[in-house]
Amino acid sequence: MNRTLTHRVFLGLVQSPLLVILIVMVVLVEMATGSQMSWGNLRGVLLDVAVIGIVAVPVGMLLIAGYIDLSVGSTLAIGGVCAALAVKHTESVWLGLGAALLVGALVGAINGLLVAVIGLSSLITTLGVLTAGRGVAQLMSPLPVSGFTPEFAFFGAGAVLGVPVPAVIAGVLFLFAGVFLIMTPRGRHVYALGVNREAAYLSGISTRLIPFALYMVSGACAGLAGALTAARLNSAPAGQLGAGFELAVLTAVLIGGIALTGGEGTMFGVLVGVLFMGLLTNSLTLLGVATFWQNVVSGLALVSAIIISLGTQRLRGKLLTLEAKRVATP
Amino acid sequence: MSVAVKNLTKRYGATVALDNVTLEIKSGEVHALLGHNGAGKSTVIGCLGGRTSPNEGVITIDGQDFTELSPQESIRQGIAVIYQHLSLIDSLTVTENLFLGLEKSRAGFVERSRQREIAWECLSRVGATARPGDRVGDLAMGQRQLVEIAKALRRDTNLLILDEPTAALSPTEAERLAILVDQLREEGIAILYVTHLLNEVMQLADRVTVLRSGSAVWSERTADITKADVVSAISGDHTAANIRPAPCDATVDALFELRGFSTEGLESLDLSLQPGEIVCLYGLIGSGRTRLLETVFGRRRYRGEVLVEGKSHLIRNPNDALKAGIALVPSDRIKQGLFGRLTAAENTVTRVMSTLARFAVRDWRQERRIVEDTTNSMSLRPNVPDLAASRYSGGNQQKILIGRWINSASEVKVLLLDDPTQGVDVGARSEIYEVIRTLAATRRISVLFSTNEPEEALALAHRVIFMREGKIDESLTTDELVEETLLERVHSDSLAHSSSAEPATARFPHTESLRKQ
Repeated sequence: MNRTLTHRVFLGLVQSPLLVILIVMVVLVEMATGSQMSWGNLRGVLLDVAVIGIVAVPVGMLLIAGYIDLSVGSTLAIGGVCAALAVKHTESVWLGLGAALLVGALVGAINGLLVAVIGLSSLITTLGVLTAGRGVAQLMSPLPVSGFTPEFAFFGAGAVLGVPVPAVIAGVLFLFAGVFLIMTPRGRHVYALGVNREAAYLSGISTRLIPFALYMVSGACAGLAGALTAARLNSAPAGQLGAGFELAVLTAVLIGGIALTGGEGTMFGVLVGVLFMGLLTNSLTLLGVATFWQNVVSGLALVSAIIISLGTQRLRGKLLTLEAKRVATP
Repeated sequence: MSVAVKNLTKRYGATVALDNVTLEIKSGEVHALLGHNGAGKSTVIGCLGGRTSPNEGVITIDGQDFTELSPQESIRQGIAVIYQHLSLIDSLTVTENLFLGLEKSRAGFVERSRQREIAWECLSRVGATARPGDRVGDLAMGQRQLVEIAKALRRDTNLLILDEPTAALSPTEAERLAILVDQLREEGIAILYVTHLLNEVMQLADRVTVLRSGSAVWSERTADITKADVVSAISGDHTAANIRPAPCDATVDALFELRGFSTEGLESLDLSLQPGEIVCLYGLIGSGRTRLLETVFGRRRYRGEVLVEGKSHLIRNPNDALKAGIALVPSDRIKQGLFGRLTAAENTVTRVMSTLARFAVRDWRQERRIVEDTTNSMSLRPNVPDLAASRYSGGNQQKILIGRWINSASEVKVLLLDDPTQGVDVGARSEIYEVIRTLAATRRISVLFSTNEPEEALALAHRVIFMREGKIDESLTTDELVEETLLERVHSDSLAHSSSAEPATARFPHTESLRKQ
């Protein structure tokens, strides 16, 4: 293909208009406040968005495959409480993290069994698990568990080479998922499933195993996010841990250009979406905007993102048609 | 009241779908429209129904000229189209469907009892046995169609267009419909009857127009002609004999075999294909040809044996079939085959991606090579592998799907194609034929395809297997066949259980008696 570099860059930018907006926003806020780009501030932002990012990875992949997972908020609570109890009783950080991963994967397996194997609606099923999961978390520990070892606190707010530990974990997950989706056959099958499930089945793609596995990963990641949150707060309140978290994740993923209809989006887009939501909130705080107004702006950002992506999709379609014509006419 | 089209021309890019077509449908007349798939029948319906805008020509309705119709204008002028795929909503009742968008209301509330009364009248007018409170989804096909016609008649219809109305009906239901068509003619409604079936034409129509490659080549009064006249008008002068496939070697062992293959609706079929052989399953919709292909591909439980290269395989799902070397290109490309949003390249390597991968990582260079080989050899147009598959034309989408199964990395030995040129324009058809013929000859694979197009059967197949009611009726090599024989046969097929020697009225005995009354 004889595409020039500028052409490629242009196509790339058209595909991720959010990145352009993100850069413009950061430059403007930096000019107005002079404090956003400081490492201290950025580290705070990274710490805030890391748990969202950890769960946005599998939730994004599920959406690409044409499934949804709303249960992650409660899975996070269950994972957090399990980790807290394990750490409290055994004083072992690894047992705590392991328990969170395992219990989270179990919740994911339940979702996967009901949705991917039996074939129930993913929206209704995970909504049910969201409600039930919250109850389970509260049953496990009606009162907040608190007072952990400093080793456990390190996973919540500590840093490796200056980067917060949860952000490092999120980064590794993004890298793995990105490689998986682009470089492996199974990863491409995730897209095929989301675009046309029947055609995927008729092409011999396993239409049960892939979503089942993704649900398990989603649960495990949510459980891990719960452990990290509990470690950071130094407390695991079953009622509040991760309340509304599923919607924050969904917002970031959708802003990042993943289509609710499936088959579309990239891990890079999700990463930009997660960072955008974090930096938007941070910018508004730095600019001294009141909390209520911050919610209004975040909501508008989601709707605007959809409008912009619709516009760029059309533009991209036109560009591709032009290119097709250029190739067709010798 | 009459509806006429004059010099109607419709072009899609370089393809001419309609070329200067003129025809008139008078009130109280049944006008039959015949022709091969792709001859332009649907385009005529589209122009009258307001779905398609012609490039040239006029549509005259009751002396008023239109250069094009919108769907709303078409309805306002009293034109109603009953498409093959009915437009009723399954989850609503008959009454709700009849009044959809035109609810009778008082003070903002639907007048249910008044609607039910009118619904009874509408249903009895078309002779439907369905009740107003029945859910449409629970009705048999024939009753649904009557409801759809009743819905059309509620809006003062002057021209009723029926698009292959009996394609999905049982013989009894078809009789019921014939009586209705007769009755509506008596009421002075103009009827455009689009069909494949000659017996229906001879039985019901007052006038016949035949389309071939977009032109109205022939138009006669039914009283003045015989079936043979119509058959030769449809097939035209050219014979398919000169483009028949190269013969295949009959002495080698069978590559693909079915033994005692049965499932619901299919009875104990035996079938055997040689390497390089192309076999056609020829029959009407509902004859079991699609069911046979889908069942072999693992979409349904079956009894009997499936053998590839003499080895028996148990096929429980499409993945099993593919592992056995059997692949299917489904007739509904968009729904069952294509990943529309993904690129042509990705659609091509969907299956072989896994076999090429090393340590679970894709081998991009090999994939690219296969994509380029495949798209070049099939002359995909436009040859832009990164373009989304949904942006290609029907014929090129078909090439992509064939390329998914047959490429240098695939292990497919038996290729099944269900109606391979459905929705493919005439120009691209011969290309698809060429692709299939070349693949069969060079890669020595067996090809089994289904069609109801005599032209296609003769152009592509070495052998034609006639299917009727889930059974193999007869198997003939194409050398023994001419297009007329095939057409005759498909029409005799429609005569439920009678032979072609019987008179054309055999299918509609009730109509005869009704007319005498």
